[in-house]
Amino acid sequence: MKQFAHWLASTAPSVFIQEHNAWAVPAIQTVHIVGIALVMGSVLMIDLRILGLAWTDHTLRQTTSRFGPWLTGSLWLLLATGLLMVVGEPVRELVSFSFWLKMALVALGAAVAVSFQRALRRQEQSWERKAAQPSIKLLAVLTFFVWIGIIFLGRLIAYDHVWGSWSPAQRL
Amino acid sequence: MDPTPVLEWLQRTSVAVQIRDGLYLFPVLESIHVVGLALVFGTIAILDLRLLGVASTERPVSRLMADLLKWTWAAFALTAVTGGLMFSTNAVVYFHNTFFRIKMVLLALAAVNMLVFELTARKTMAQWDASTTTPRVAKIVATLSLVIWVGVIAAGRVIGFTATRSSAPVETAPDVNFEDLLGLPK
Repeated sequence: MKQFAHWLASTAPSVFIQEHNAWAVPAIQTVHIVGIALVMGSVLMIDLRILGLAWTDHTLRQTTSRFGPWLTGSLWLLLATGLLMVVGEPVRELVSFSFWLKMALVALGAAVAVSFQRALRRQEQSWERKAAQPSIKLLAVLTFFVWIGIIFLGRLIAYDHVWGSWSPAQRL
Repeated sequence: MDPTPVLEWLQRTSVAVQIRDGLYLFPVLESIHVVGLALVFGTIAILDLRLLGVASTERPVSRLMADLLKWTWAAFALTAVTGGLMFSTNAVVYFHNTFFRIKMVLLALAAVNMLVFELTARKTMAQWDASTTTPRVAKIVATLSLVIWVGVIAAGRVIGFTATRSSAPVETAPDVNFEDLLGLPK
């Protein structure tokens, strides 16, 4: 991975971002944060609907129809800007514990979001009832904390030394 | 009035020193700050897009505001507290940082923008609450809100690149060893 990161850093797109990092890096990060905000807003609304704390004049299906596409669209935006950041600073991103733990949680969060929307489309009626169950409410709270964990790990990429011996950067 | 003595006192307080010298506190504060601002912008954007007639048009604006704004304010409180604590660690440098100042001006503009909405469109809301079409002033306020908040995020991000922490603590591996801690094989 270290070798791959160094190779990636020598490619033309990476060199371009490195040479223009004064504006390119904060600009990409800003778009990335806007994407995070759209994800967090959408996830908060769907989870609050499951908990019965907002959108109570809408069915669960109506609420996910409103926010699902924004959630999915924002996740693609995050993937695109995230890839640009990896290309721009390959060693910082790829040789870090925070980054890979974050990717694992992103896979989990996205899988939950996609499978939930699919399940809801297939069995709309039963899910309107199921959403009232404590287990589903607990799942809603837990997934919200998965997204918060993703934000923490994203920020911690800049501070990978906090992981001590778990940070591969410390072994370089 | 020269604020330097106050700023110097602020960054000498024990809270500021603890955050500055600690290994985890500053990154944790930054992370909470990002969670807070994501929820601030995420919830405000939902309302702005409704005012622009882009999304949630089937819901009355008042219902949306009742669902959203308490979360917006709670998240904003979170960003204010974490932002203030981060500011305290290096108050003199942040105070003189151009992007910090731009961010504060943008936050003030966001407040003025909100006030304009309260004093104009909000007064007649009963007439257009459930309608897709909103008054022109509401659309202008919503557009400005989106632009200002993206500006706040951008300025905030640039502060991190232009105002380095006064005494960046450990660059090297700290005395933390998770393998020993958890009894894992090396």
